[in-house]
Amino acid sequence: MHTWRSILAVATVGVLLAGCGGGTDEPDTPAAAGPWSFKSGNGETVTAEKTPTRIIAHAGEAAALMSFGIRPVGIYADEPVKTDANLKNLDLAGITILGEEWGKIDVEKAASLAPDLIVGDWWPVEKAYSGLEEGVDEKSKKLTELAPIVGVTQGESIADLAEGYEALAKSLGAKVDDPKIAENKQRYEKAVAAFKAATAAKPNLTAAGMSPTDEKVYVANPRYAPELLDFQRWGLKVMNPATPDADFPYWETLSWENADKYQPDLILWDGRAYKDTLNAEFGRKQPTWFEVKAAKAGAVVSWPAYWLHTYGDFATELEKLTTAINGADENIGS
Amino acid sequence: MRTSAPERALGLVVLCAILAAVAFLSVTQGSRSIDLPDVLRALGNLGGDQTITSTVTLELRVPRTLLGILAGAALGVAGAILQGVTRNPLADAGIMGINAGAAACVVFAVTVLGIRGIGVYVWFAFAGAAAATVLVYSIASMGREGATPVKLALSGAAVTAGLLSVTSAIIMTDVDALNELRFWQVGSLAGRYAPILTGVAPFLLLGLLLSLGCGRALNGLALGEDVARGLGQRVGLTRAAAFALVALLAGAATAACGPIVFIGLVVPHLARFLCGPDYRWILPYSMLLAPVVLLLADVIGRVAGAPGELQVGVVLAVLCAPVFVGIVRYARLTEA
Repeated sequence: MHTWRSILAVATVGVLLAGCGGGTDEPDTPAAAGPWSFKSGNGETVTAEKTPTRIIAHAGEAAALMSFGIRPVGIYADEPVKTDANLKNLDLAGITILGEEWGKIDVEKAASLAPDLIVGDWWPVEKAYSGLEEGVDEKSKKLTELAPIVGVTQGESIADLAEGYEALAKSLGAKVDDPKIAENKQRYEKAVAAFKAATAAKPNLTAAGMSPTDEKVYVANPRYAPELLDFQRWGLKVMNPATPDADFPYWETLSWENADKYQPDLILWDGRAYKDTLNAEFGRKQPTWFEVKAAKAGAVVSWPAYWLHTYGDFATELEKLTTAINGADENIGS
Repeated sequence: MRTSAPERALGLVVLCAILAAVAFLSVTQGSRSIDLPDVLRALGNLGGDQTITSTVTLELRVPRTLLGILAGAALGVAGAILQGVTRNPLADAGIMGINAGAAACVVFAVTVLGIRGIGVYVWFAFAGAAAATVLVYSIASMGREGATPVKLALSGAAVTAGLLSVTSAIIMTDVDALNELRFWQVGSLAGRYAPILTGVAPFLLLGLLLSLGCGRALNGLALGEDVARGLGQRVGLTRAAAFALVALLAGAATAACGPIVFIGLVVPHLARFLCGPDYRWILPYSMLLAPVVLLLADVIGRVAGAPGELQVGVVLAVLCAPVFVGIVRYARLTEA
C-alpha cells in the first residue's frame, strides 16, 4: 500500500512539475486498472494483471506516449535529449533520463524507478527493440529484465507507427478522444489530405531524399525510410535509387563526379543536416552540386529523416512539405 | 641494387614518365565514365562551354590530381627525411605527432568553435600539426644530449598518446565531431578542389624545393652522430632544420588530405631499393615514387568504387600492408 501511495505521489509531482514548466498542459496520467494486454511488434502478446503506469521509454516512443498524455518515469535516448528531434521541444521535468547515447542505458538507475513496462520500437530487420540491438553495451540489455517490453513495428510507415502508439497509449488508459489530444491527429489528417491534394495536382513531380556531404552525395533508399514510403503512398514520386550500397542499403552513395545521376524536381534534404543556407553553400563549394537541376533552382526542402513518431510532429513536417510541393516546378528535373 | 649515377639519373627520367602517365590516368579515369575525346576537349577548351564533363574534368579531377602529386611527393620526402634524421627505418610523419595534432585541432574546430567543412579544417589541421611537432621536439630537446632519435621517438609517442586520448574523450561525447572526424581521418583526395590546392600548394612547393638540398646532411647523419660531428656537421641544427621541413611538408599534406598512412613509411624503402643508400638520390626518388603510388591508389579507389568512391587511405592500407610485410620479412631491403 505504501509503495502504491508513493507512486501516486511521484506521478502527481510529475504532472505538477509539467504544469509549471512548459505550460503544455498534459492531462493527468490515468489511474491503473487491469488486466492489461498489448500485442507487441514482434508478434508476442504481453499481459499484466494491472495496467502499467511506471513506464520507461525510448526517446521517440516516449514523445509518442506523451502526446497522448502518458508520461513515462524514465527515458533513454540515443543522443542528448536537448538535441533529440523528438524530445527537444518537450518538457521533461520529473522524468529521469537514463541514457543520452546509443547503446548506453543506466540500468541501475532504471531499476530504482521500479518500472512495470518498457517501451521501444520493434525493428523487424534487426529483430530487436530500440536501444537493445546488436552492438549495444551488454549491460544495457539488462533493461529487459526489469519489466516486460513492448513496442510498435518500425520500418514501413510513420502513419502506422503513430497509429500503433495511439493504440498502445489507449490500452494504457490514455483518453485519446480528449479534444486536446485528438487535436494533433485531426491536424495530421488534414495535413495528409492537403499533401495528397498537392501531389495529385502535380502528378509528374518527382522527388529524391538526398544528403550531400563534403566527400560524397547520398541518395536515400525509400525502402528503408518509412516516411518516404508514406510520401510515395500519398502520391509523391520519391525516386528509388538504382543501386543502393550493398553493405548499408539505406542509401546509394554517389561520388561528386556522379552527383547529377538523379534529377528529381524536388530535393528532400536530410533534415538532420538541413539549414536554409546549405544549398547555396554546397553550390559554392561543390562544382557539380548545381548540376542537379533542382539544387540549382533552389527546389529543396527539409525531410524529417528517420525520427518521426507522433501525429503532431508528422503534421508539422507534412505542412512544410506540402507548401514546398505546391511551389515546386514539375519540369525542373526533366 | 648497385647502380651508377647515369643509371640513377635515367631512373629519375623513367619515374617522371611514369608519373606523367599516372597523372593522365587520374584525369581521364574516375567514378564517372567520360570518353577520352570529351576529356581532351575539356582540357583543350578551358574557357569554353560549361558542361558536366568539363566541370568534372577541370574542377574535380585536375585539382585532385595536382593535389595528389604534391601531397604524395611531400609525404614521401617527409618520410625519407625522418627515416634519415632519426635513423629509424619505421619513422613516418605519424610518429612526430603530426596526425594526432592535426586531428585534435580539427576536433577542437568542430566542437568548440562549431566550424564545419574541409576548406576550414585545412588551416586547423595545419596549425595542429605544427604545434604538435614543436611540442614533440621541445620535449625531446630537454636534457643534456638534446633531441636524440630515441628521445624523439619517445616524445612523439607520448604526445601522440596524450592528444589521441583527449580527441577520443571529446568525440565519444559529441556525435557531430565523431562524424566529421570519421571522414577526415581516413585520408582522401575526394572533395578537395582548387581553393584547397592553391591554399597548401605554396607550402608544399617550398618544402619540396628545400628538401632537395638536405641530402648531404642526411648522408652525414646516416653515418652516426659522432661521425657526422667529426665531418664538421652541426648535428643539432641539422636535426632541427629537418624537423621544421617535415612539419611543413607533412603538416600541409595532412591538412589537405587527412592522415594518409603508409606512403611516408613505404616509399623511402622502395626508393632505397632502387637507388641505393645515398640520400641525394633517395629524396628525389621518393618525391616521384610517392605521388605515383598515391595517384594509382586513388584511381583504383575511384574506378573500383563507382558510382561511389573508395577513400584513397583505405586503398593504400590494402595495397601497402603486404609491401610493408615484405619489407619487414626481407630486412635487407631497408638496410641496403
